[in-house]
Amino acid sequence: MRIEKCYFCSTNVYPGHGSAFVRNDAKVFRFCTSKCHKNFNRMKRNPRKVRWTKAFRKAAGKEMTIDATIDFEKRRNVPVRYDRELVQTTIKAMRRIGEIKKRREHAFWKQRMAVAREKRRAHRAKKLAAKSTSVKLLEPMAVETSSTEKEMERIKVPNKGRSALVRGDGRSMGMDVD
Amino acid sequence: MGRLRRSRTHKAQRDIHRASRTRARTKDLDQIQLIDLDPKNRAALEAQPLDFEKPGLAQHYCVECAKYCETDTALRSHWKSKVHKKRCRALKEPAYTIEESERVAGLGREGKRSTWVAATASTPSAVTAAAA
Repeated sequence: MRIEKCYFCSTNVYPGHGSAFVRNDAKVFRFCTSKCHKNFNRMKRNPRKVRWTKAFRKAAGKEMTIDATIDFEKRRNVPVRYDRELVQTTIKAMRRIGEIKKRREHAFWKQRMAVAREKRRAHRAKKLAAKSTSVKLLEPMAVETSSTEKEMERIKVPNKGRSALVRGDGRSMGMDVD
Repeated sequence: MGRLRRSRTHKAQRDIHRASRTRARTKDLDQIQLIDLDPKNRAALEAQPLDFEKPGLAQHYCVECAKYCETDTALRSHWKSKVHKKRCRALKEPAYTIEESERVAGLGREGKRSTWVAATASTPSAVTAAAA
């Protein structure tokens, strides 16, 4: 059984899944989903410039690129005779490597976030400094309040509390009998 | 009440679908970059024999865009165009290939050291992370 890699997003493509495109120079492009296929075929995007692909993440330094745990997966074109012992040790090793990889990835992520945090803080401080020098706040002006307040008094409409919703207010739409 | 839909929403969809047909497929960037731009191949492509099937008898070919022009003036104006310049810019950086997609996924080949290491050895963050 051979597990292929998607051309666009580099995920695993298991047998019976996804689709393949064979170019007229016999190169086989494999795709995990129709999404990846469309991005290649119809939109002709470069996976290195699409943010959700593995290629982008690696090229932009968002994931580990140099690590011993990554180098274990290999394509072997020479068949190996089945050996129970070998399979057992391999599976054991895979589990162990998976653990180590997870830990290292977490450490990498933490470091990346620390750097990003520093960067963001510096950016904010810079922005704030720029703002404080360029913008001058004006003193609030003294306003003569007496005349305006009188105006407000005059405009005020007394609330008589009449409503069509309240019965017996003289305006109700009900069929009142005198 | 039925749905209200804006009219004129299908701008040039027909053309996009036509261009994406397999029989109308043009050369990919990696084919052009790795094969056609080689000086020997380039010379062969630019001096093709008369072909009655091709536009302009295959005498005015743009190698970067993999496109036949009808006349020499058309080819010259194409070289000055935005489309051509954009294509040249795209060809300057290394094209994405199947090998790269596998390398990025961590699938190496037996008996070969991954070439990714050599390509990104200069990034300091990756190096320090690997050491940690």
